[in-house]
Amino acid sequence: MCGIIGCVGRGDETLDTLVHGLSKLEYRGYDSAGVALSSDHVEICKNSGKIDDLREALSDRTLSGSVGIGHTRWSTHGPPTDANAHPHQDCHGDVAVVHNGIIENYQSLRDELVAAGHTFTSDTDTEVVPHLIEDALEAGSDPEDAVREAISRLEGSYAVAAVVAGCDAVFAARNDSPLVLGLAEDATFLASDVPAFRDFTDQVVYLADGEFARLDADGWTVTDSDGSVVEKDVDTVEWDPEETGKSGYEHYMLKEIHEQPRALRQCLRGRVDELSGTVDIGDLGDLSPTGVQFVACGTSYHAALHGAQLFREAGIPSQAFLASEYATATPPIGDALVVGVTQSGETADTLSALRAARRRGARTLAVTNVVGSTAARECDHALYIRAGPEIGVAATKTFASQLAALNLLALGTSSTGDARQVISALRDLPGHVQEILDESAAQEIAEIYQDADAYFFIGRGYHEPVALEGALKMKEITYKHAEGFAAGELKHGPLALVTENTPVFAIVTGDDERARKTVGNVKEVEARDAPVVAITDGQSDVSRYADHVLELPETHPRAAAVLANIHLQLVSYHTAALLGRNIDKPRNLAKSVTVE
Amino acid sequence: MHIDTAVVLAAGEGTRLRPLTRNRPKPMLPAANRPILEHVFDALVEAGIEQLVAVVGFKRDRVQDHFGPTYRGVPITYVTQHKQLGSGHALLQARAAVDGPLLVMNGDRLVDAGTIEAVDASYDETGDTSIAVVERQDTSRYGAVQVRDRDIVEIVEKPQEDDYRLINGGVYAFDADVFDAIDETTRHAGELALTDTIELLLETDRVRAVEVDGMWVDATYPWDLLTVACEVLARGRVVESARDERVWVDDSARVHDDAVLQAPVVVGPDCEIGPDAVIGPDVALGRNVTVGANTVVQHSVLDADTRVDPSSTLIDTVTGQDVTLGAATVAPGGPADVQVGTEVFEDQQLGAVVADRADARGDVSFVPGSLVGPNARIATGVTVDGTVPEDAEVVR
Repeated sequence: MCGIIGCVGRGDETLDTLVHGLSKLEYRGYDSAGVALSSDHVEICKNSGKIDDLREALSDRTLSGSVGIGHTRWSTHGPPTDANAHPHQDCHGDVAVVHNGIIENYQSLRDELVAAGHTFTSDTDTEVVPHLIEDALEAGSDPEDAVREAISRLEGSYAVAAVVAGCDAVFAARNDSPLVLGLAEDATFLASDVPAFRDFTDQVVYLADGEFARLDADGWTVTDSDGSVVEKDVDTVEWDPEETGKSGYEHYMLKEIHEQPRALRQCLRGRVDELSGTVDIGDLGDLSPTGVQFVACGTSYHAALHGAQLFREAGIPSQAFLASEYATATPPIGDALVVGVTQSGETADTLSALRAARRRGARTLAVTNVVGSTAARECDHALYIRAGPEIGVAATKTFASQLAALNLLALGTSSTGDARQVISALRDLPGHVQEILDESAAQEIAEIYQDADAYFFIGRGYHEPVALEGALKMKEITYKHAEGFAAGELKHGPLALVTENTPVFAIVTGDDERARKTVGNVKEVEARDAPVVAITDGQSDVSRYADHVLELPETHPRAAAVLANIHLQLVSYHTAALLGRNIDKPRNLAKSVTVE
Repeated sequence: MHIDTAVVLAAGEGTRLRPLTRNRPKPMLPAANRPILEHVFDALVEAGIEQLVAVVGFKRDRVQDHFGPTYRGVPITYVTQHKQLGSGHALLQARAAVDGPLLVMNGDRLVDAGTIEAVDASYDETGDTSIAVVERQDTSRYGAVQVRDRDIVEIVEKPQEDDYRLINGGVYAFDADVFDAIDETTRHAGELALTDTIELLLETDRVRAVEVDGMWVDATYPWDLLTVACEVLARGRVVESARDERVWVDDSARVHDDAVLQAPVVVGPDCEIGPDAVIGPDVALGRNVTVGANTVVQHSVLDADTRVDPSSTLIDTVTGQDVTLGAATVAPGGPADVQVGTEVFEDQQLGAVVADRADARGDVSFVPGSLVGPNARIATGVTVDGTVPEDAEVVR
């Protein structure tokens, strides 16, 4: 889980271009960073810390060269130190390599190279690559072949970019880690993700697994593992580079929370027709699943839990699985459609689960935010959530859009009695979200409970995934202890944790049996003197037992789940802001986790 | 030199437009079916501005959420005026975001790009502060100016005498020294007015008057939004694609084949219009508006997410966002005496103003001139007359 960039053709601006690109990739990882520039020799600068620390280090150095590569790292092998920062070099300093992913056979390669007399200076798996290239060069290969030979030795997941002294080209290859080329008039770029070079071009080429790219003054070529040239389609990315700016907000997370009405509108645009009560996700074809298995991680897993409930309610057997478990302990699939929910479309665990399903002959569908992502390309079908770029590490608007998209999927592929009500509620959703953004008392709640020992979240039915997500958000950005439970589970153990200094957030909407039972659970909590924050539409009498109320408009329970979550996002955000946390880049976390 | 930076003042609430400004500042109210501020930015971008600075304050999220970091490829810098202490104070907040000459405009008034270009050209030519001036009958509502040989010699807020012909058009070109001049301006009642700074400038510098005659409309009172919409539709300042002569319908809207759209009318994205509905003339439907079967809407502005159920009639009506009007709602429209604050305005063409998220359950009648506050709940069969406060529940 790192970000890599490379560029050719930027002349004297090569270094600035690389550093600028890295700053745009910082969301992918940020415990160390570095760059390498190549001419007749290779110069590198790298250190632990953020991109700003790298800028600082570069301020009293001059690096020259017109081709270069750069890297921002999120540790997988070895702690974040200067030595472990990329780029890594060979024994002579003639080769520099950046890498994203995990090289699974690195230990055996390293043993072999050490035995052959190579000296290693870091703890990383990556460092075997430059030494392998060095060996191939010494054996007489030209630089391109040398890189190719080194890559062919690697097992595992990687996106690799390399430069070699005396050769004005950048070489790159990918397997299971994202890599995209950017084509400008007189320059060519490569990166883990489009924002790295979006300021220079909107023309992109997505590399596929096993492909090898060469970028030089003459342009770019993509070849397969045998060296045959591959004809690649050039895509145009539609979003604007400025979409990734903060537009007046303190943090990306707050901006993205406020973008939810718009994101939901985009998700629903052209897909729902209230007057006829129909949903049109026609580009998926006729799926008519007889069973559905969801695979996902983190926040997307909570969306998947919601999705599984939707299908079960429509009479279709459905379950949500944690992708990391599914990949290595795959359940019987039968005829089920396997749906991977992943914001980035690059989540390694989810990709791995989807591949496990495909190996067993299952049909697969990706629900993702990124067009052209690995998940979208590898699955039989893709449903885009259209939330727009999300920069904050803590997922917010993409969760709301995932829930909306999964509702569309369920409505479009199965039948429920109340389709018209659900569609009506979906159409009301952007306006209702705006209402919560305008009126939420979340900031006051955050001020009252910022010093709490722990936070608990409970809900039932569609609100259980929201309870889990509320707790995850709280953990991620406040570093406080938080847990979410199915409301009925509280009394089976976790109630022991409840004290007067552990607020319990209870999501209760409607006044049906689910609501009444949850109100019963709230009374159990209240009896233990824990403060209760009810997130409710006021139909049940839960507010009688609550110390505070976060109000929801009356709507369908499926839509209420999206709305309740907005309040919880705001409570977490304001709590983290009061505690002075690094909200957009919480410690130890990265945006899309491309390692297993 | 051509000015490439514009500061747009969009921090004020617009109290006389309550209850529509409960959740958003006046510049974000609809001019037809897009925010007024969007039209302001359009004019600036068309005039060649390359850097927008928006001074935001009251409900600033709404401005930031709508526009994000750029508008039509032009970057927007947001600066916050935490307390609304006058237009001069608002402009002062933009000091750090500006280096060099600047255009200044209000975010709540629609003007032509030509007006902006003319002010820019005057500054370009003379290097002096330049201000658009507009001829108006009712100068007493505005800041009046006295002009001699293209120079402004006097500026008076809301003059009592009617010997003025020209008013301050609110489009200014300044050099960066204007910030120093604001620093030296005396506060009145704690507020710094930009016109006071201009008075100060008149003592030492030449201030050029740029007489313009393009579009110049703003909304002061709720019914003005209907006039603004007519103006916008008459000039075709809409972004939706034209389906017919002066009938604009967004591609994502669904209009039943048996519905009638009478020009001029604009239907925004994601709208749904049921069979036999008659929409127009002079109607603007914002995003995601639903109009049920057999409903008639004339000379009205229905903002985003409004839902009007079947067999309703709305004439001369303004709704805020996410308003629900149940089946058989009737606002027959027509002249009315409307009370705003302590003033009564006679014979205004106004059916009803229904603010954000108000919900009329059905069979509700609005006596002309009714004002319904945000989140109000009106029970079935009620006849609404006069003002319904925010969050009120009207049962009979």
